[in-house]
Amino acid sequence: MYQYNQVDQQLVNERVASFRDQTRRFLAGDLPEDEFLALRLMNGLYVQRHAPMLRVAVPYGMMSSQQMRTLAHVARKWDKGYGHFTTRTNIQFNWPKLEDVPDILEELAKVQMHAIQTSGNCIRNTTTDQFAGIIADEIEDPRPYCEIIRQWSSLHPEFAYLPRKFKIAISGGPTDRAASQVHDIGLHIVKNDAGEVGFEVLVGGGLGRTPVIGKQIRPFLQKKDLLSYLEAIIRVYNLKGRRDNKYKARIKILVNALGIDTFRELVEAEWEQIKDSDLQLTDAEIARVQGFFTPFDYEADAANDTSLEAKLAEDETFAHWFRQNTVEHKVPGYRAVIVSLKAHLVAKGDITHQQMDLVADLADKYSFGEIRSTHNQNLVLADVRKQDLYALWQTLSEANLARANINTLTDMTVCPGGDFCALANAKTLGVADQIDAKFEDLDYLYDLGEIKLNMSGCINACSHHHVGHIGILGVDKKGEDWYQITLGGSDGEDASLGKVIGKAVAADEVADTLEKVLSVFVEQRIEDERFIDCVRRIGLTPFKEKVYAPAH
Amino acid sequence: MPLLINRELVDNDSWQLVDAEALESNTLPAGDIIVPLAYYQAHEAALNAREGQVAIQVSGDDEIDGVLENPNQFPLIAIFIPALRDGRCFSIARLLKRAGFKGQIRAVGDVSHDRLDFLTRCGFDALDIPADRFSDEVFNAFSEFSVRYQGAEDDSRPVYRQ
Repeated sequence: MYQYNQVDQQLVNERVASFRDQTRRFLAGDLPEDEFLALRLMNGLYVQRHAPMLRVAVPYGMMSSQQMRTLAHVARKWDKGYGHFTTRTNIQFNWPKLEDVPDILEELAKVQMHAIQTSGNCIRNTTTDQFAGIIADEIEDPRPYCEIIRQWSSLHPEFAYLPRKFKIAISGGPTDRAASQVHDIGLHIVKNDAGEVGFEVLVGGGLGRTPVIGKQIRPFLQKKDLLSYLEAIIRVYNLKGRRDNKYKARIKILVNALGIDTFRELVEAEWEQIKDSDLQLTDAEIARVQGFFTPFDYEADAANDTSLEAKLAEDETFAHWFRQNTVEHKVPGYRAVIVSLKAHLVAKGDITHQQMDLVADLADKYSFGEIRSTHNQNLVLADVRKQDLYALWQTLSEANLARANINTLTDMTVCPGGDFCALANAKTLGVADQIDAKFEDLDYLYDLGEIKLNMSGCINACSHHHVGHIGILGVDKKGEDWYQITLGGSDGEDASLGKVIGKAVAADEVADTLEKVLSVFVEQRIEDERFIDCVRRIGLTPFKEKVYAPAH
Repeated sequence: MPLLINRELVDNDSWQLVDAEALESNTLPAGDIIVPLAYYQAHEAALNAREGQVAIQVSGDDEIDGVLENPNQFPLIAIFIPALRDGRCFSIARLLKRAGFKGQIRAVGDVSHDRLDFLTRCGFDALDIPADRFSDEVFNAFSEFSVRYQGAEDDSRPVYRQ
């Protein structure tokens, strides 16, 4: 993974000092609250229901074991012993004290971590495929470009006060595991007819109040033009995006208002002015950054392992976990392991400091010391020898990190909701527990097959409910929490927005309602059809009829 | 209001920002004045006939393509920042620089400590800081960061070309 050089380290250290100074001026009354708000948000610090919340950047989901141990240390020393992974692959701490935040940042800086631009109306953490670099179907590893974007976007002097937040995702190949179509900018690594590798560029996707699928602005962009093209898009957005209404300030609204063709003309005209400037990436710079993401020294004889087959044959529980929670690696003899942060009746994406330390140890022991976070709030150990899987599984199981539920209904993506978040309209954690309790039977979940369930506690859609196969949105009705259900969303290469099936259901009826939805699926399903494919085939009507049928 | 030019406090500035009342009644002060772009466009002939220099003030809502065609007709262009969160000023300054503007770019409005460095990097040379937001600490704003990744108007080279 990327290692800081002196410039990277200096920048992060200086940001710690500048934030310390901003905090001091705020506490001394020299910095108005409203101004400090914008500044602290740009450094990941929210003020929540109970305490401030600090969101620490995990750039494109990559962490070293050392960084994970520091996160554990932060959770122990300054928080209540746990953290929460987010759909931007970052980690949040829910209980730090405002005056401690500069010290936390200083501790993080020692291991090349920061909270720069994890919130605020600026360019956020670029996200990508959790299997980048190890999956067979990718055209090229997207992580070097994520890092190049991270550097370009960090403390960009022109783009720190955009109309609204700005999110970029990169997919390394045709299978989209980065939800790139629902980002402000989605980049797809593609090969053109001449065999050159570059980017297809999408713009104007997003969720929130107005969910939109991104539109293609350029079918092929040369690698060297990556930053100049991003700069052209964001400059047009910075100048023309709406600032009168924060709900209409995202780039998707501008793109829709102008139309993609007019927007493209503006961007291309701007780009023409800057494409041949110093912004052009050099081959040397691309090669330098790529040098941090070269393949590990994989063992050639790892492919000769026979112990895994034996273990799979003798231990059914392990075999279930293997099937659900591990993924084929492009190197024979290795698998990628998904560490489930979706344990039974545990807040989704939460991880304790003991678990963080354990995962760090396991990464050192089995996976070259690296850990990844996913946009579905799980962790990945990406490079595990097949012969080590059984021992790894046993240790993960003891730590409640091996629930074999990846890509099933209970692998829910859930925001912290009204229990923590000041923006939320409704709570989410209790409903997630209700779903866990109702659908505990793993065999039933396996029979249902792949289902993505995403639940957000408000219209800001942090948990991407619009693109869940099943989406749940918490809404407030006269002080009570109600839940609106959508079906048919997807954040993959077949991206689509879910449609609401009808009026919201009461908090205690969510799991029962899902049971009805699933019963329609089971009745109508053709062979091993996926839930999402079934919904697309039969439409919403059968589900509506079942869910809203008058009681007998 | 304290005015920094090239990061130094100056107290002999000749420019006056004409207030709304004077504009309304067309009673312009003598000397060098800054007027809003729309006022300039409506009264161009009269303004150019008077003694003293004339500069314009633009804001994010203005259509500035005409200004960009010939920016050097003005010795100074002020960019009005209505609120902290309005980041259009940064792009406008860069567009002026790219159009070859040689005069002074002045930030007026909500100008305060934590944006001074970014403003300077985007091409502003004059920073008109409201008195209640000014203290000697603002001079620290320019040295908080000794490294940067991006090229900008002060140095067009991104880190990989330095």
